[in-house]
Amino acid sequence: MTDFYQLKVLEVKKETADATSIAFDVPLALYKTFNYKPGQYLTLKFNIGGEEVRRSYSLCSSPALEEPLRIGVKRVKDGLVSNYINDNIKVGDLVDVMLPNGRFFAELKKDNYKTYYLFAAGSGITPILSILKTVLLTEERSFVHMLYGNRSQDSILFNEELEKLQKEYADRFILVHTLSRPKSNWSDLWLSGKKDKIHRKGRVDTLAIEWFINEYPPYAQNTEYYICGPGTMIENTKKALQDIDVPNERIFIESFGGVTSSDVTEGIDNASLVAQLNGETIKTTISNGKTILRTLIDAGKNPPYSCEGGVCSTCMCKLKSGKVHMKNNLGLDKSEVDKGYILSCQSIPLTEKIEVIYE
Amino acid sequence: MHELPVDAYTSQEWFNLEQEHIFSKTWQFAGLVEDVANAGDYISVQAGLNNIFIVKGKDNRLRAFHNMCRHRGTQLLRAVGKGKKAITCPYHDWTYNLEGKLVSIPKKEEEFPDLCNKELHDCGLNLHEASVDIFKGMLFVHPEKDAPNIMEFFGEVEPYLGPHIPEELIEYQEKKDGAFYTKEINANWKIIVENYIDQYHLAHLHEDTLNMYDHAKAEFGWAGPHYYFFEPLVPEYLADVKNASPYPLMDKMPEDKMGAYVPWLFPNIGITESESAWNTFHAIPLAPDRTLVVIRSKTMNVSEWEYTKQYTKSMSSKVWQNIGNKGKYEGDASDPMASGNFMEEDVYACEQQQKSLSSPLFSVGAQAKNGEFAVRKFQSVVKEWVEKYRDND
Repeated sequence: MTDFYQLKVLEVKKETADATSIAFDVPLALYKTFNYKPGQYLTLKFNIGGEEVRRSYSLCSSPALEEPLRIGVKRVKDGLVSNYINDNIKVGDLVDVMLPNGRFFAELKKDNYKTYYLFAAGSGITPILSILKTVLLTEERSFVHMLYGNRSQDSILFNEELEKLQKEYADRFILVHTLSRPKSNWSDLWLSGKKDKIHRKGRVDTLAIEWFINEYPPYAQNTEYYICGPGTMIENTKKALQDIDVPNERIFIESFGGVTSSDVTEGIDNASLVAQLNGETIKTTISNGKTILRTLIDAGKNPPYSCEGGVCSTCMCKLKSGKVHMKNNLGLDKSEVDKGYILSCQSIPLTEKIEVIYE
Repeated sequence: MHELPVDAYTSQEWFNLEQEHIFSKTWQFAGLVEDVANAGDYISVQAGLNNIFIVKGKDNRLRAFHNMCRHRGTQLLRAVGKGKKAITCPYHDWTYNLEGKLVSIPKKEEEFPDLCNKELHDCGLNLHEASVDIFKGMLFVHPEKDAPNIMEFFGEVEPYLGPHIPEELIEYQEKKDGAFYTKEINANWKIIVENYIDQYHLAHLHEDTLNMYDHAKAEFGWAGPHYYFFEPLVPEYLADVKNASPYPLMDKMPEDKMGAYVPWLFPNIGITESESAWNTFHAIPLAPDRTLVVIRSKTMNVSEWEYTKQYTKSMSSKVWQNIGNKGKYEGDASDPMASGNFMEEDVYACEQQQKSLSSPLFSVGAQAKNGEFAVRKFQSVVKEWVEKYRDND
């Protein structure tokens, strides 16, 4: 599961001023192995400045189409990897890629008859675009109602592709853009006339969601709600849906970091760690500030991980004794936490002794 | 010749079998989407042996539950409270949330100390869930929580339906909350269905009442368990339809598709989709020899003035001098065959056929190969549904 494969870059496409999409060539022999569900991501490994770094990027391609695997990468301010990719990756490069993974996906069936509500903000469009295309292609009777938030017209990712889908599936696909700082001046309106895309002004927030669902109520009554964007957008959207009594089991979320929380909890200095990993019992010390995962990596071990952002849950392990603090947990639900599972990439020790097992 | 025994039309045993194995196992018509228009609106409908409660949440999604409080089983559910976020039974005020989960029991600690030591919603006393969905502007319910989806049931017949968009039409009601037509008919429900899908009788029983449609050009057949039917207007009517139509014409209907779409959706809901009206025809079995027919009618959503204008034009159109409103026979208006009303003609034929079923000499002598093919097909579908389960019982 945590093996890497070398894939060749097939295409590098500038999507907006600060975002690129990268398509990979999957050799025929690996075609099946690299099968994925719409909404999942790829984990990429780079060596930047002598340090090994991994990042996960959602696939925006659709497994229902015979198209190459494609990820979208938007520059993050001061982001190490996103800027590296945007600046350096070119056609023909070989990149270390893990198999598609992730718990955010839509389980689609040809005969399904559902209404999918998709909420995306910014680069959160990537997995949503994959779900969108795959629903429209696979489920001939299902409907998609999508609300997509951006700063302005210029920052809309995959705009062309979205417009094409809107035309092609006009009877089943509703798309509303909401822009927090729309560019508009009279001369533009004059030029584009009626062709100008109608958009809503504002963010993807409670008001926008209530308005959207009242304006576009579901026809097929079996509904699902998919949300992807930065942390606050996820929280707001989920809360807005809960406020109008959407049950939790119909809501699916994927967080794209952005939770630079004001979390100041500090761990215990030099706590002892006993970890069972791949049949080995490792005894070491967690130096101040480090996570359980980093401690093991720095000790030369090979724990499973991919996003290192508290989202993907690849690094999940079970706490056998001691207490930890998770800086960020977007991967585990309450029942898993209750059973003692933790995200090792986010866990710092709160007790002198910590014992974990990677199952 | 006849796929079903005479018993199937007269006996309580067959009636019970159908209630259990057909009407309690299929998607059942429950009304029109506007019946549950706003958050908190609810209705309950009888669907075979089940009474199903439909409520709309603030998320605009419909939920369906068996209308039966889990306390004493009372059929009393209603949506209450500010924001209509709760479903309650007024008998003892047991309360459920919009997902059907039990959320409160009055005097729980004193009266039910041993009920269950978990959270209320984990006590196995949540409302029984059912399914609800929308097809062509109509509500349908299914008693199972994980019912096969509604488009698996209706998908095959959908392409044969008219271009009408019922959600955009308005209901014609003579009195508030009253259906356009309600009548208890003294015949088994299948007699009524068979009459509805019998193409052979159109040119005969309705010789002078439905002759604005071109029966010779009727196209009909079977899709899934459903019947579909279309026939165009007769040329004379078509030529002047803009004036002659009794109501404003359907705007969604292109001229080359002008006519009547009259499908029958299994088991008991017909639609009549014409150039100027869109009707549901719900046949509800009451007893082996009694059926309630409820027709709801929708027409174009235009002003009263448009209707007045259209009526005036229609009255003065020459078309109706020759066709459409004469009885088959001349006579007293109390004779259905002289009424000039095709519904009266049909009711009359159905009731008279039912009467014959008790005769020891009754038999169906022959069946028209094309015009009555649907009658035979319908009987075989009924038989299939009943036998599918009866053999397993």
